Amino acid sequence: MARAKVEQHPATGTTLVVMVGLGMAFLLFMSFLNVVKSGNILSEANLLFAALVFYAGAGALYLGFGVTGTDAYIKFASLMTWAGLLANTGAVAHRWYEAGHPPFASIYEMLLSFVWTLAALTLIAEKKYGVKVIGTVTMPVAIVGVILMQLLPSEVRPLVPALQSTWLHVHVTLAMLAYAACALSFALAMMFLIQDKVKTEMFLAATSIFTVGIYAAVLTRFERGGFNVIAWDAENKSEVFISRGVRLFVTIPDLGWLMLLVFAAVAAPLVLYILARVKKDEGFLAVADRAVFISILLQSMALVFFLLRVRGGQYPSLDAEGLYATSLAASPFILAALVGGIFANLLYLLLLWRRADLERLLPDADALDRITYKTICIAFPLLTLMIAAGAYWANRAWGSYWNWDPKETWAAITWLVYAGYLHMRITRGWRGRRAAYFAILGFAVVMFTFFGVTYLLPGLHAYA
Amino acid sequence: MAQSLRPDFRGTPRKIWQTLSSIKTGVVLIILVVIFSIAGTVILQRPMTDTDDMQRAYSPAMLRFLDATGLTDIFHTYWFIALLVLVSLCIVAASIQRFPNSWRYFARPYKSPDEGFRKVLPTQAQIPITDDEQGLSAAERAFKHLHLKTERIVRTDSFSLFSERNRISEMAVYIVHASLLLIFIGYGVVDALYGWRGFLVLSPGNASNQIEMKDGAKRTIPFAIRCDGTGEETYADGSPKRWWSKLAVVESGREMSRKEIVVNDPLVYQGVRFYQASYGRTGKLDQIILNAAPANGTGTAQEISLAMNQTVALDADTSVQLVEFIPDFVVQDGRVYARSNDVANPAVHMIVTSKKAKSSVNVWLPQMPGIDENASSPYTFDPKDLKTGLYTGLQVSHEPGQWAIWAGVVLMAIGLTFVFYVVHTRFWVVPVVDARGRTALWVGGTANRNRDAFEVKFKNVVEQIQKELKPEPANAEAQAEKISGTTIAGR
Repeated sequence: MARAKVEQHPATGTTLVVMVGLGMAFLLFMSFLNVVKSGNILSEANLLFAALVFYAGAGALYLGFGVTGTDAYIKFASLMTWAGLLANTGAVAHRWYEAGHPPFASIYEMLLSFVWTLAALTLIAEKKYGVKVIGTVTMPVAIVGVILMQLLPSEVRPLVPALQSTWLHVHVTLAMLAYAACALSFALAMMFLIQDKVKTEMFLAATSIFTVGIYAAVLTRFERGGFNVIAWDAENKSEVFISRGVRLFVTIPDLGWLMLLVFAAVAAPLVLYILARVKKDEGFLAVADRAVFISILLQSMALVFFLLRVRGGQYPSLDAEGLYATSLAASPFILAALVGGIFANLLYLLLLWRRADLERLLPDADALDRITYKTICIAFPLLTLMIAAGAYWANRAWGSYWNWDPKETWAAITWLVYAGYLHMRITRGWRGRRAAYFAILGFAVVMFTFFGVTYLLPGLHAYA
Repeated sequence: MAQSLRPDFRGTPRKIWQTLSSIKTGVVLIILVVIFSIAGTVILQRPMTDTDDMQRAYSPAMLRFLDATGLTDIFHTYWFIALLVLVSLCIVAASIQRFPNSWRYFARPYKSPDEGFRKVLPTQAQIPITDDEQGLSAAERAFKHLHLKTERIVRTDSFSLFSERNRISEMAVYIVHASLLLIFIGYGVVDALYGWRGFLVLSPGNASNQIEMKDGAKRTIPFAIRCDGTGEETYADGSPKRWWSKLAVVESGREMSRKEIVVNDPLVYQGVRFYQASYGRTGKLDQIILNAAPANGTGTAQEISLAMNQTVALDADTSVQLVEFIPDFVVQDGRVYARSNDVANPAVHMIVTSKKAKSSVNVWLPQMPGIDENASSPYTFDPKDLKTGLYTGLQVSHEPGQWAIWAGVVLMAIGLTFVFYVVHTRFWVVPVVDARGRTALWVGGTANRNRDAFEVKFKNVVEQIQKELKPEPANAEAQAEKISGTTIAGR
């Protein structure tokens, strides 16, 4: 939205700030009226809403900065991020106080902490390392996170016995910090590649592979033209289970075909890229860029249909008689995947149009390379301690410190990948591009460990 | 001296040694471990999956193939273990291969740089001075000001200044590798050979020293565990809050220890750990509470409580005995059978005896047409409450290797801290005569990591030396002639 505006009035400076400011003032005023009516100002929901408004404002300004390079935006964007972080801190504190334990116990609480960490890291990266554009990437993620939180069941749930341990907090805090550091190293490696004059079509290939991967994962839910989602029990605010640990899936008719179509659309740029490489014909790349544009439109359509169909209506199931409702809260990962795909492609378009500006705004390649390495130097010990804390806790709770459970195994794989990176860098002197690719691979593995294992693989680690 | 650490092989052994200690082999092995680990998370693994689920997921032929290759239990197959052993050997070999160099470097620090070294060192500067001694003492003061220790090196043909910090950082990588080996030994050797895991089910009042192992075998431990009680607490919404068991250790008839265990807080005795793993109700009756009223309508009803095989007098003449409890009954061909051990559909069988009439009547609750004789009983019974027996499921494990693992983890944390955050910095200050024949102070420095931060530090040192030299009027016009590189420092 913000981008379209700026495209029409390039670099007028104050226009965007004023518009974003007015928009936010309007939103906050409207919600203030509500608050006055209900008489409860400092509730968690209100604080979260305020955080969302501030993050959205910051996101719009960061995006505006990413597109136009107007320095004035950054100041306001930082201010808003600070304000958002403050509101977010309030929400975290409120939650902590209400629940009596740090907010790590459910997906909702994890997201709350994750968004907080992300905003804090954005400010650190901006102030300490001068990577100003980073908000362009992190703020939209934060916004999606907060929106997702509005959909997830948010009531304070008591901790089940296995989670009643100090080691939960140690383990999850370390995991959050480690994953956030990995995310930062990934963003920095990407920026290094931009600064290192990697060809734009490499990014085309990368984003296409990413979205193809997403839709391949999404299509595991394809069922005879329909699309399987988990049934949702609105009364108990929980997934419907057939038996212990087995969730009930319902099939939304025809949505599967749409997903298949979108899969084809996101695969098209990749195919065109490969054709361009094989036939050595640059003409295909111009077509591929257009195909990216079309795929964004189709992806948005898929998202809208997904939202509409999941929110309303009842659907049949293969495993049980009758019709069941579902909810966005039952499919947070699919929602995140769909939004993530659109987001990745939008970033590519941003790069395509504004590469020169981005290059001017980023620190030089050497500095980015060094900072990437430094963040991994922080991430690796944290990963090590996270695994150790998890093992120690498992030993206290289940009587075994290592079970080769998929989550554990993938954590070990992540550790090995980063260990490989460090060995190559320290003993083989890998610098620059190869190191950057390795950092990106490392983060992909981290993301799979965090989301993919929970979503795609069976296992014990059922909490997150 | 250090040289002797490196094995002196020739021919094929030498080749094997070289392959084993090369980083390329290490990386290939790591990639193999990663690939097989991924396979182990994608293919269902026997230890964590029900047999039924395995059969549902794969076709019989496929399952036979997967079982034959060990792919259904990758992490315990001999070839995966062999792979991990190979990784360990690789770490050992690579460490031994590189250790002598590092050790020489560590044990015999290079304190007095020769001309060749001075020429190639990237981070260096020259400061004009008038006199060697005056220059060096100014440098000493400068280092002291910056809280760096210095050492005067006096050789036959030269004297100079040397300052270093955190030499131990050079050995950090060996600490990390040693810690990794310690973890492997704890898991793969000690626990694989001496560790075991099993399960123990106890109901309150019972004791046992027989642990059921995963393969169905029994293991006898040298002491018995007695359960003195178990229970569950729930939250207001019914979800479980706490499971607990009161356990006592009994060794040759004497009670040695007592503990109330909960999830996350096990009982440990002689290295054997007992964890609260499950909790539930057995299909056995603990107590039933009934209202008994005379069938003829005279007299008052009374509440009685019966345990298995217990007899309770109802009046001077009549008594009742509980003889049978069926948790989940089904009637077939005029007989009552138990369908399962879940307390889903319970039935009780009592015998009401009258001394005077010398009669015994079979009473069933609920009524079983054709089986029960409830109609002729002098009392009618109305069940009030049914308490079935509780049991607690204890996970039992003996993992003597875990101490090696925790020690390894602590060691690794220390090692990684040194690897990443403790920088070995060295400074040399040597009075030299420069190309134009003037006396100057050559200052050089290196750091083994984080070199951009070191550049700043080096600049500070040079500036401080210049400041210390300033009071001398002869050096007032002295300007540092700094030659400085930015990248790799030579050792």
